[in-house]
Amino acid sequence: MSKSLIIDDKHYTATDGQTVIEVATANDIYIPHFCWHGGLSIAGVCRFCMVEVEGRPKLEIACNLPVVDGMVVRTKSEQVKEAHKWALEFHLINHPLDCPICDQAGECGLQDYYMEVGKYPAQMTQPKVLKPKNLDVGNDLILDTERCILCSRCVRFEEEVTKTSALGIFDRGDRSIIGVYSEAKIEHNYTTNLVDICPVGAFTSKDFRFKKRVWFTEDVESVCPGCATGCAINVAHNADLNRYYRVKPRYSEVNGHWMCNFGRTIYDHLNVEHRLLTSYQRDQATGKLTKSATVTVLTELHKQLVVAQQRVALLVSSQYTNEEYQALFSYFTGDLGITDVYLWRSKNEDPNVFDGILMRGDRNANSRGLDKVLADFKIEAGTDFDSLLSGDYQVVVALAPEIFATFDKSIDDQLAELAKLPFVSLWANDKRVLDFSWAQVVSTKCFIEKRGSFTNYNDQNRQLVQPINPISGEIKDLGEVIELLAKCSTAEIACQ
Amino acid sequence: MSANEVIELVKASGLRGRGGAGFPTGLKWSFVPKDHQGAKYLVCNNDEGEPGTFKDRYICELSPHMLIEGMCIAAYAIGATKGYIYTRYEFFEEIRWLETAIAEAYEAGYLGKNILGSELSFDLDHYTGAGAYICGEETGLLSSLEGKKGQPKLKPPFPAVAGYLGCPTIVNNTETLAAVPWIVEHGAESYRAIGTDKSPGTKLFCISGAVKRPGVYELPLGYPFMRFLEEDAGGMIDGKKLKGCIPGGASAAILTAEELQDVKLDYEDLATKGSMLGSGAVIIIDTEQSIVELLKVIVDFFHHESCGQCTPCREGTGWLSNIMHSFSAGNGTVGDLDLMPTICNNMMGRTICALSDAAALPTLAIIDKFRHELQEQVT
Repeated sequence: MSKSLIIDDKHYTATDGQTVIEVATANDIYIPHFCWHGGLSIAGVCRFCMVEVEGRPKLEIACNLPVVDGMVVRTKSEQVKEAHKWALEFHLINHPLDCPICDQAGECGLQDYYMEVGKYPAQMTQPKVLKPKNLDVGNDLILDTERCILCSRCVRFEEEVTKTSALGIFDRGDRSIIGVYSEAKIEHNYTTNLVDICPVGAFTSKDFRFKKRVWFTEDVESVCPGCATGCAINVAHNADLNRYYRVKPRYSEVNGHWMCNFGRTIYDHLNVEHRLLTSYQRDQATGKLTKSATVTVLTELHKQLVVAQQRVALLVSSQYTNEEYQALFSYFTGDLGITDVYLWRSKNEDPNVFDGILMRGDRNANSRGLDKVLADFKIEAGTDFDSLLSGDYQVVVALAPEIFATFDKSIDDQLAELAKLPFVSLWANDKRVLDFSWAQVVSTKCFIEKRGSFTNYNDQNRQLVQPINPISGEIKDLGEVIELLAKCSTAEIACQ
Repeated sequence: MSANEVIELVKASGLRGRGGAGFPTGLKWSFVPKDHQGAKYLVCNNDEGEPGTFKDRYICELSPHMLIEGMCIAAYAIGATKGYIYTRYEFFEEIRWLETAIAEAYEAGYLGKNILGSELSFDLDHYTGAGAYICGEETGLLSSLEGKKGQPKLKPPFPAVAGYLGCPTIVNNTETLAAVPWIVEHGAESYRAIGTDKSPGTKLFCISGAVKRPGVYELPLGYPFMRFLEEDAGGMIDGKKLKGCIPGGASAAILTAEELQDVKLDYEDLATKGSMLGSGAVIIIDTEQSIVELLKVIVDFFHHESCGQCTPCREGTGWLSNIMHSFSAGNGTVGDLDLMPTICNNMMGRTICALSDAAALPTLAIIDKFRHELQEQVT
C-alpha cells in the first residue's frame, strides 16, 4: 500500500516500509547523512539526517523514520539547518585538518558538506584526540583511524555483505577506534568497497592513493568485463592524458552498490603502455614482427584466406560484444562458409563457481552472448584447444581475450602453443602478445572504447554506452576489422 | 488473578520505574504483544550505576527473595518463561547473594517448571555485566546480555516488541520489581494510600555528601526534602552549609539551597523545579565544594561512559570534559561559558539514548545557577 507525504511543501508517495531518507533520495532531495547507506542496515549513529516532522516534539533522524501516511517533513527549516550545522561541528572537532594530503579530498562527504554549509573557523581550542594512522589492514586498504568518523558503515559491510566480520569498533566514547582484530588482515575479494563506502578518508585504496587527484578525472560509465556478472562501473579517466586510474561500482540492479576487487584491476590494461597501438606483420626478410597499417595486415589475411579455402579455423574468446560476434560470424560463416570454430577459454576456470556475492567462475564478460550468436549461425564450437593445434589448419584467426588476468598464467602457455601454427592472425589489444612469433597481429579495441553489449550469466543485457576514443586510430573493434576485411574481397581496395 | 488482571493492578497502583526514567510499570508491561508466539523475556536491570545511587544493592543484600518473587509475578503478567538479573560487574558480593537466592528459590520450588505445582513456569538466571554505565540503559543492557558490545539500540523497535534476541522483552529496575509483591498482596488502593496522588508508594533514597547520616532511606514519595536532610539524615556534617543538591543522580539538574527549601521528593515536584527524581540519589553539596571541580567530575564521568556510537554524545562529552579541564587548570574563558550551553543544547535530544542528555542537563543547570563561581576562575 502506498503512502503519501509532504517533504518541503511538495507531495511524494512512498511504498510500504520506506523511510523518509529513502523517499528523499529517490526524489533527489538531499538530506545530509554519513552512516546511512542504501546497501546496509540502519545504524542511526551519525545523527546528521535530522528532519522536522510536523506534530513531533523533537527532530528525528530521516534514516530510521518510517513514512506515515500524511506525514509533513521539513528538511530545510531553520531548526534543521542549525542541527545539521552542529552535526557537522561535532564531526569536525576531532577530525584532522589534513585535506591537502588526504587522498579522499574532492570526494569526501565531510569536506563537501563543510564547503556547503561550514566555512567557519574551528570552535574547539583544545587538542584533538590522536589515533593510529597509516595502517595496512589488508587487500588494497590503508586505514587512518584519526580521520574515521565512526559511522560504522565498514563494520556493517563486513558483517552483512561479506559476512567476514573482520572490523570492529574498539574502546568507546571519543577514544573509539575502528580496527581489525589482533594482527588480522582483511583479505577477501571485496575490500575496496570499504574504501567506496567510507564517507571520509579513513579507508583509502593502496592502488589509487596519491596517483591522481579525483578532480582531474572523469567517470566513464561502463560495464565490468571481469566475469559473467557484468557489474555496472565507472572508470576514472583523464581525457587530456587519455589515461585510466581506477574502477568503481555504479549502482545497478545487477550488482547493487558493490563490485569485487578483481574487477577493479580492469583499467590498467587500457593504458598506453599495455596497448598495441598498431597492427603488426611478420617481415618476410627478417622473420620479425614489424609495425604495419591494419589495412595492409588485413589485405594479407584476405590473400591467405583465399589460398587456404576451407582449411581455416576461428579461435574465439568470450570477451567481445554481441555486435562484434554478429559481424564476425556474418562474414566468416555467412560469407566465407567457415564453420570450424573453437572456444578460447582459460584452462584454469571453473564456470560453475560462484562466490555468493558477485563474482562468477566464468571470467568472461560475454559467454552467453557468444553462445547465442553461435546458435544463431548453427555452429557447434569445439572446446578443446589441443584439437585446434593438431587440426592441420592453414589459417587460424584467433581472437585473444581482452583481459589476460582472467586467464591467469595459462594464457602464456596457450599463446606459445598457438604461435607455433603456420599462419595465425591474432587479434588482440595487449602488447604482451608481441613476445611471441605471429604471422600477423591486428590491434583491437578494449571494452571502454566500444559501443555494444554483453549478455551476462543471467541473460541480462549489459550495455556499453559511453565509448572513449581509442589511444590510436589504428585500433579497431571487430566490426571495423570485418568491414575492412570484407572490402578487401569485394572492392579489392588494396589487393592489387 | 489472570495475567491481564496483574497488569491492570500494577497500572492502578501507579507504580513507576524506579531506575530513573519513572515510566509507568503496568503500562510498560501492557506493551508486550499479546498474540506473540515464541519466547518472551523479563530482565531485571540491576546494573545500578548512576553516580550517587546505591539502593538496589540493599535489596540484593537484605531481601533478594522479594525481587525474585516480583520477577515471578511480572513474568506471569507478561507471559515470560525466562528471566535474567543483570548485575553490574562491581557488585561482587551482591552477585554472590543473588546467585545463592536464585538457587534457594529453585530448591524451594519457587522457580523452574510448574512453580508450586501450578501451570506457571519461570526460569531465572543471573548475568554479570562488564562494568559500563551505559548498560544500565535498557537497550544497552540487552546488547550486553546478548554478548555484544554494550551499546544502546536504535528505537523503534522498542524492547517490549523486539528486545533480547529480537523477542519481546521487559526490562525493569530492581526496586520496581521488588515493589510488585507488596502491591499484589495489599492491593492498588493500599499502595496509593502512600505517597502522593501522581507519585504513589515509597521510594528508596540514597543520600550522600556532607551529611551526618548518609545511607539508604525508604520514604513515601512527596516527602519534604529539608525534613529528609535535617531529621532523617541528621543535617549537614561538621557545621558545613548547604550549597545545593543533585536530587536524582549525576544526570539530574542541580538545585540551589534556596530552591531546595520547599522541594518535595516526588516525580512531579522535582520536574516542576527543573530537575528530576531520577534514581533517588540525593547528593548533598556544601559551600566548600568547588563548582568547577564538581562539574569537571560530572562531565568526566559522562565522557568516560559515553559508548561512542552517536556523534553528538561521543564528541560533545569529550569537548565538555576538555573545557572543564581547562577551567580546572585555570585556563577557562568567558567564551567557554557561553559555548558550553550551546554544545549542551545540541547534544540534547539528538542521540539514540539519553546519556547525551544526562551529560548536558547537569552542565546546563550548573552553568546557569553557578555561573558566578565559574566566572571567578576565568582567565
